[in-house]
Amino acid sequence: MTAWHLDPEEIRRYAQGAAPPHLAASAEAHLMRCAACRDVVSSYVDTRRAETIWREVVDRVDTPRRSRPERMLVRLGVSEATARLVAATPTLRGPWLLAVAAVLALSVWAAGVDERFLRMFLVVAPLGPLAGVAVAFAGGLDPTREIGLAAPYSGLRLLLIRTAAVLVVTVPIVAAAGLALPGSAWLAAAWLLPTAGLTCAALALTGRMTPVAAVAVVAAAWVLVTAPAAVTDRLDLAFGAGAQIFWLAVAVGGGIWLTRDTFRIKLGRTT
Amino acid sequence: MTGVRVHGATKSFGRTTALDSVDFEAGTGVTGLLGPNGAGKTTLLRTIATVLAPDRGTVTLLGLDPSRSDDRTRIRERLGYLPQDAGFHRGFTVFEFVDYVAILKEMTDRRARHDDVRRVIALTGLEPVSGKRIRALSGGMRRRVGLAQALLGDPGLLVLDEPTVGLDPEQRLRFREMISRAGEGRTVVMSSHQTEDITALCTRIAVIQQGRVRFTGTPAELTAQAADRVWTDTQRSPAALAAWRTGDGTYRNVGDPPEGAELIPPTLEDAYLLLMGEPELEVTHP
Repeated sequence: MTAWHLDPEEIRRYAQGAAPPHLAASAEAHLMRCAACRDVVSSYVDTRRAETIWREVVDRVDTPRRSRPERMLVRLGVSEATARLVAATPTLRGPWLLAVAAVLALSVWAAGVDERFLRMFLVVAPLGPLAGVAVAFAGGLDPTREIGLAAPYSGLRLLLIRTAAVLVVTVPIVAAAGLALPGSAWLAAAWLLPTAGLTCAALALTGRMTPVAAVAVVAAAWVLVTAPAAVTDRLDLAFGAGAQIFWLAVAVGGGIWLTRDTFRIKLGRTT
Repeated sequence: MTGVRVHGATKSFGRTTALDSVDFEAGTGVTGLLGPNGAGKTTLLRTIATVLAPDRGTVTLLGLDPSRSDDRTRIRERLGYLPQDAGFHRGFTVFEFVDYVAILKEMTDRRARHDDVRRVIALTGLEPVSGKRIRALSGGMRRRVGLAQALLGDPGLLVLDEPTVGLDPEQRLRFREMISRAGEGRTVVMSSHQTEDITALCTRIAVIQQGRVRFTGTPAELTAQAADRVWTDTQRSPAALAAWRTGDGTYRNVGDPPEGAELIPPTLEDAYLLLMGEPELEVTHP
């Protein structure tokens, strides 16, 4: 206890956060020792503001630290909620990514042994990211699928988030494999526009069927069309300038469709 | 308002009819679904959880129509669901997993969401393991995590598919306590094989077999179905539908008793066994 007390005006300014730093420091030092002044201060404090600050403190102290991938995504500007949804994407697990890398490494090795396998790489390359999208929604691999189905979160929004996450991770793996191929450099990039177009086509089909079925339909159509061209060495038909323009158009068209639907999602009209 | 109203619901998977013109209602309190494996309990609960739509019939949940897109979203905002084989992202901690489901439930304000995550973790007694990875938890603890996520957002309708399966007796008692508390002021529909759980928790029950509702009413009304049809004897009676040797060495017989049989009060389990053994019988208590 002390005989000296804070001036009522000083208390008011301190309680409202309007005191200059030297006065605030002095007031805090005194309040630590003086119960009478603490009582006076409490009558000036905005209880709602104090509760908000206290809840924030509890939240910061009590919430477990996010995993490293989530922290990295948040640092890149992704919202903490989206980062958690991405972290739960089954396809982004180590074993799946290793499997994709292993298949592609095998393709690159085979291409070095026989030139015919080089052409098949172009057929196989877009299937990696596409399979990733399908697996991200396969019931057996998403342990919380049933809970997710009964939740109000938009299925399409989740599809877009997971698709984007899968593409961001798998496309660099396929690109690295493409760069390791022997022969012409254009092979390393010729699969990119078809991949974008095929992904957009699969997403567009999800309005009519499950994501896994949509990817299966698109992938089957892709293999049926491109495999004969690759086998007969008519790559220009499937990967030439005309084909690239076609895939660019599909990707742009799909992008417009997705943008339109994303807009609808923001308005909350899509379930 | 009746929380759940299902009328004439039929659902088939290929040639298998999982639900056959099912009528079912549940109001405030805990309503139990009892039936053997493959009876259609899970299909009915998945329909109530808006995961499945019936091929025919109508469903009304919390006064809303789940076949309408807008209504379905509003129902899901007020629905808690614990599936039979609830899976988990095992690399997540308990807090992270429950928070993940809270995000799926569209709880957009981070602080309010975290407050609610902490609330359900405390309700289910998971505070000591909140920061532990799910892969390190026992089966009973994981079941609690499943219940915790279902309680997020203080739902008006709680759907629990076999919530006590695989739990030891003490864990089952704790679960009963949690479910009983959850049933205060909201509609809870739960399925179980355990007649003890149903007796202890439910104000009303429906017995379902081969996709059809065989009985609806209170546990006491179901038990009353077996009045004067349970007796003890020193041996297994040929007239019994079911009979087993009890701890005191006598046989408990369920069925049509012979003349002069020593009748004893029936249990819910006796009535359930009788109902399952008499496929033509259908009983509805309003």
